[in-house]
Amino acid sequence: MPDRLQQAITVLQTRFGSAAPRPAAPPCPARPTGISELDALTGIGGWPVGRLSLLAGPRGSGKRTLAQRSIAAASQEGPVAYVDIPGRLDPEFLSRFDARLDHLLVVRPKSIKEAMASVRVLARAGVDLIAIDLPRTRSSGLDAELPNLLHRAAEAECTLLLIHDADAEDAIRYYASLILSFQRSAWIFRRDGDLEGLQVDAAVVKNRLAPPGQTARWIIPYPIA
Amino acid sequence: MTHGKSRDPDICCVRTPHPSLVAAWLTVPALRGRPLILGGLAHERASVTTASAEARAQGVVEGMSLNQAQQFAPDATFQPVDEEATARVRQSLLLTLHHFTPDVAAGEDPGCAFLRLDRLALRWPERSQLLAAISRAIDAAIRVRPAIGVASSMFVSAVAAAHATTTGPLIVEQEKTRAFLARYPIDVLPLDDDLREYLELLGIKTIDRLQAISRPAFRRQFGQKALQVYDLALGEDRRRLRPFRPAVRIEESEPLEPPVDNTQALQFIARALAERVSASLLSQGLGTRAIRITLDQESAPALKIEARFAYPMTTPGELFDGIRPRLLRASIVAPLERITLRAGRLEAAYVRQPGLLIRRDGFKESIADAVARLQEEYGSSLVQRAEVRIDAAPLPDHRILWKPA
Repeated sequence: MPDRLQQAITVLQTRFGSAAPRPAAPPCPARPTGISELDALTGIGGWPVGRLSLLAGPRGSGKRTLAQRSIAAASQEGPVAYVDIPGRLDPEFLSRFDARLDHLLVVRPKSIKEAMASVRVLARAGVDLIAIDLPRTRSSGLDAELPNLLHRAAEAECTLLLIHDADAEDAIRYYASLILSFQRSAWIFRRDGDLEGLQVDAAVVKNRLAPPGQTARWIIPYPIA
Repeated sequence: MTHGKSRDPDICCVRTPHPSLVAAWLTVPALRGRPLILGGLAHERASVTTASAEARAQGVVEGMSLNQAQQFAPDATFQPVDEEATARVRQSLLLTLHHFTPDVAAGEDPGCAFLRLDRLALRWPERSQLLAAISRAIDAAIRVRPAIGVASSMFVSAVAAAHATTTGPLIVEQEKTRAFLARYPIDVLPLDDDLREYLELLGIKTIDRLQAISRPAFRRQFGQKALQVYDLALGEDRRRLRPFRPAVRIEESEPLEPPVDNTQALQFIARALAERVSASLLSQGLGTRAIRITLDQESAPALKIEARFAYPMTTPGELFDGIRPRLLRASIVAPLERITLRAGRLEAAYVRQPGLLIRRDGFKESIADAVARLQEEYGSSLVQRAEVRIDAAPLPDHRILWKPA
């Protein structure tokens, strides 16, 4: 914002108090994802704090790897939680990214209701980042829980990541502030024919905080670490 | 000292014999007036916790071995300390004083308690009547006449009480504090061994000799830290009373006659008890973060269940909403004879004022509390921590150690 404009706003705030002009949307703080390309892609420098971000895409497209790298990065700074509904989390894999496992709480709920109750309680208690790994099947009851959950997350400044293999339901798409769609665009082979890595394309399908439509491509090398 | 016009608060020190002794006398009144040594039986390898005045007169002191004490006082009665009774006596002393004023504090010495008297001028215009009433109340509560000292600070009042008799209080006027302390040996001061030795080497054995030294000279000789002792010797004690708060116990119980074996009836009674607990909480401005439910079964051990809350609850609806699912899930194997609800983890209810006093909705639960609450509600396997065991077998299941968080 130009200095003159800022000065004018300050004068108006002094004269008119709450009636003075204010930004339509205050800047949203962001939590680094742990991957610089992804930080740039989101447009705000990482996952939006106090909001829901959706990582969508078919199996094997790298979204869970990226989410786990984010969890590992966030665990260096504070408590994090992983809600593992399908039971796919591999802590050893996380530890390859230097995750602090003593800062990680793994929630293994039997139902969506249990999962949402856990997320609400942990968000309020001060967990910084919670990744929710959803099952492929339709998550009944999630749409009813989401408004309450998002209210709690915003209040507690907790970042929520939702990982979903199938097409996300309308309610999730509606409440998510950021939707990243992942696609495996190619396998990378070495000259000798061995599989060397995975090329992933990511696109910002929805972004309430920055212009959507951006794309990025990067390679996830094997072994992943 | 003019009552109520002194700038410094009037501190009253009430001194009784050691609460363990009082507890022993209350249990066996015949032990009064006889040498009594507490700490264990005569043949035990332990030390003397406390001894009655009659035993002390024969040379028994605290910390001495029981064998040695027996040699000094062969006709004394030896007893172990009854910790529970001692705690009851101490609590009773403080509660008795708490009826006079909320400004009551427990002293470091177990038989000692302090009161501020300066705020009681309207209720007790006559100081002597107040002190006599305190003495009578303590006598009625624990059957012991206390020694009472009144002065302008905790230290001086404690010294006064230590040298007062049970027949009348020893009151030290503020302007005579220095002169009052001057006559006593330096042992009444809280001296460490080094400082005591230095002072004695310098021939300073009484407080008046200490008072004769100037403050800068004392600091030069003994350092900044020792100035606290010097100030006490002049009667200047800046410590404040740390108010004693009586324990609050909110518990409601109902016998079930005839014994109940259906959950509908149980819920109905639990709801009524929740209303009673809520009324008690409300009257004291308190909220509870845990309700402990005890279900006495007819022919089986009692069930103890705890319902925890994220923030302090007060209303009957909130309490019952927390209790009900626990009751429905309880594994009751026999008809119930009694149900008891006890409010635990009491906090001021005002913390729930949304956004007025505290950020957000007025509560911040620790992660450990949150995890404990989730595990209690959904089972210990819900929230787990993972540990990678590098030296384990290569099978994935063996390499990861899952344990409840």
